[in-house]
This record gives sequence, structure tokens and C-alpha cells, in this order.
Amino acid sequence: MESHHPALRSEVTLVELVDRVLNKGVVVTGDITLSVADVDLVYVGLRLLLASAGTLDRFANEAVAA
Amino acid sequence: MSAVATETAFYAYGVVASGQRAAVPTRAAGAALEVVEAGPVAAVASVVSLDEFGEEPLRENLNDRDWLERHARAHEDVLLAVAASADVVPFRFGTISRTADDLRALLRDREHALVAALERVRGKIELGVKVWVDEARLRRALAPPAAEAASATGRGYLEARRAAQREAADAETFCADLVREVYERVAAHAAAAVVNRPQPRELTGRAERMILNAALLVESDATAVRDEVDVLAERLRGFGVTLEVTGPWPAHNFVDGADDEA
Repeated sequence: MESHHPALRSEVTLVELVDRVLNKGVVVTGDITLSVADVDLVYVGLRLLLASAGTLDRFANEAVAA
Repeated sequence: MSAVATETAFYAYGVVASGQRAAVPTRAAGAALEVVEAGPVAAVASVVSLDEFGEEPLRENLNDRDWLERHARAHEDVLLAVAASADVVPFRFGTISRTADDLRALLRDREHALVAALERVRGKIELGVKVWVDEARLRRALAPPAAEAASATGRGYLEARRAAQREAADAETFCADLVREVYERVAAHAAAAVVNRPQPRELTGRAERMILNAALLVESDATAVRDEVDVLAERLRGFGVTLEVTGPWPAHNFVDGADDEA
């Protein structure tokens, strides 16, 4: 990583990251972008967070074990 | 994906003023950065492979937790690196144009709003202010030093129940007042402020409850906010209340509406 804020990095939890990077910022829609404009990134972010909170992992592990 | 098989596309992280394009680093977070300029604004972008960022692969990758986390972090790290030397208006994750011309057209379409957003964030940073409460400690702190020893039968039981309900109501009132006060006091030092929904406990993984999740747009010397928070934190320590300042962040929360232009 070449971040100019190395001290920040460890502080940036996934929930903070999702709250900002996936939920905020300028949203560009229209033909001119490929983008994920029609994908609900808030939902995608929530799913990511639930997965990291272990909820989905547990199910996944159980599925593998079964 | 359409039949046009371009190999690459431009992933745009955000926008800087064209006058500051020289301040944009050539690499950040492991990615080579390109500056794509259109009049007064310039996008900070990377060339990415359509195998990874084309519409179909991207949809699949958004379901891949590790991929998504890695790229969300890279998005943020690039913005932080750019923000270290230039004012930057962040795009939301996943803003992708096929060609540099498409990206320039996008910038031209939204020029007015992007210039306004750059003006708003100039010389400023975003901070997060959170308030957490340990509810059990708060109730204990608010409870009158009391006849808690009442037995769990008859009148004693009813009184204890009423007392518990009163304490819960007191704690709610205390939190509501506290949230308002903290927000007003920190927002007084900010050019703009927003309140976001508190993050739920399942996601924060913390025992305390988050009762305030605010973002502030402040001058890059953020000491006024930090001092204010320190004073409040000192006063509230005995109540099981913790205040937290996060950042500096790129101004994700204060560029909204840049796409509203008709």
C-alpha cells in the first residue's frame, strides 16, 4: 500500500468503508457508464458486512461441513 | 456485456480541478493513475480490464466478498492519496467508462455540478463523529441511589418494575438530548454536517450502542471539532458514553447532488 495516511489504514473498518465508498459519493448514471448504476450498492455493502460479521460465514461453513 | 469487445475501461475514483491535476500522484494503492481532463474538471482514473470490470464480471465480483473489500479499500486509498495533495470529489464505487472520450463526456455533462462540489470541498476534509453508549452503565449512572434491595414480591416487585421502566425512559431521554447536543456543538464548527443512520450492533461488533453517526465537512485543521469532542467526552465519561472522531476522510458525504443537474 502506498497510502499517504498509513496510520489511518488500520482504523478504517469495513463498516466505515462500506458506509462511505459504497453508499456515498457522486453517483453517475446513464448510458455513458458501464457502471453498476442499476445495482443497489447499499444492499451489496450490507451483504458484505453481514458476511464479515460472521453470519453468512457460519452458514457457508455448515454447508461445506454437510 | 455488449458485443463490442474492448479490452479495457476507465475506472474513475473521483474528480479534481484541472488546475490541480499536477498534484495527483502517478500511483496509489498499487494502481497507476491517469488524469482525464475535460475543461475545468479532471477525473482521476485507472485503466482496468473488462474481464474484471465489464458488466457481467462486475456483477459476479460484487458477490465476492474478498474482491469487493479489496477494491473498496483501493478506491478509498486512492482518494486518500489524492486528497493529500489536491481537493477531490469522490465518485461512488464502480464508476466505469469504456473510453477516455466517454469519461470526458461524462465530466462535461456534469461540469456545473462537479465544479460546485469542488468549490464546496475546497480546503476541507470530512470527519466522522460517533457517540456510543453502554446502556447498562448509563442506567446505573442515572438511577437514584436507591432502595434497590426491594424484594421481588408484592409491592416491592411492582415498585422495582416501575423504577426499571422509569430508568429506561430516563436513559432514552438522556440519549436523545445528548445526540442533539453533541451534533449541534460539533456542527457549529463545520461548514456542513449530516446525520447518518447509526450503524447497527450486528455490523459494528461492539457491545455499546451507536446513537449518533454524523459526518462533518470542516477546514483541514480540525482541532476545533476535536477539542469540542474532548470536552464533551470528559463530561460524559461517568455515564458510559464514548465519543469517537474518525477521519480525515475524502468528502464522500458532501458531494451528493452533483449528479442532480438536469
